[in-house]
Amino acid sequence: VAKTSLTSPPWPEVKLPDPVEEAKYHAAEVVRKVNGLISAGEYGRLFAVVHFASKQWKITSEDLIMMDNVLEAECGDRIRMEKVLLVGADDFTLIGRPLLGKDLVRVEATVIEKTESWPKVNMRFWRRHNFQRKKIIANPQTILRINTIEIYPCLS
Amino acid sequence: MVVLSAARWVRSRLSDRFWRVQEVLKYARHFRGRKNRCYALAVRSVRRAFVRSTKARKEKKRFLRALWITRIEAASLEHGLKYPAFISNLLKSQVELNRKVLADLAIYEPKTFKSLAALAQRRRQEGFLAALGDGKEPEGIFSRIVHHH
Repeated sequence: VAKTSLTSPPWPEVKLPDPVEEAKYHAAEVVRKVNGLISAGEYGRLFAVVHFASKQWKITSEDLIMMDNVLEAECGDRIRMEKVLLVGADDFTLIGRPLLGKDLVRVEATVIEKTESWPKVNMRFWRRHNFQRKKIIANPQTILRINTIEIYPCLS
Repeated sequence: MVVLSAARWVRSRLSDRFWRVQEVLKYARHFRGRKNRCYALAVRSVRRAFVRSTKARKEKKRFLRALWITRIEAASLEHGLKYPAFISNLLKSQVELNRKVLADLAIYEPKTFKSLAALAQRRRQEGFLAALGDGKEPEGIFSRIVHHH
């Protein structure tokens, strides 16, 4: 039969690799290589994406984080952040679906400071109605320093 | 102010007018024109400035989200994916990164963003294959080719 414009669909034909073979390749090559890199310690600075205080943060070691609320921990307490979404280095990234295991990553932080924010002015005004309200708000803030991000070679 | 009897209180006059005026003028010192010096004009300008800053705090969140979306769209187009395809396929692969973090990764971690784009592309192709099915005719329906007997 002759080929017309309607013999094949207009989108390009894509052949996906065989799932069984791909699972074998993944388990053998990729996981082994990444485990080897992790246990040999051949990664530079690690960055992580952490879900904390209902926000997601992209953090590295030695950086400061400011939350706009109170944390029930004293100044100087060491905290472990458990909800890690992504960890990456220069050569590999570990993407969690949606979170990574607690035996795989460890993110430690210290509470440095608990202060209030600068006094923000909250004002409402309706013209010609003799209505104005002024309120000064100073939210409590907590400052954390991320000490370390560690990964362990327990991929599977 | 301390006033010791009712008679004196009735006759008292304001003595800290200067400081009450300065409390308002200190917020107007960087304005332009006479409203940074004259109290009557400054009161109105400072009031409008406060009201606008309270409203802007809500709109800042909208602006920033639109900015992140623009940046993610630009970065995913560099890798050959459009923004709706990228975001929907990432969510279908159970990767729940928000737009702020995706924009930061697109700027500072290009290799990670490329791997995320590849993941979204692969999930997209798998979705297409699942939707197309086997390519055979569905059962119980008249075939499109009309058979003349």
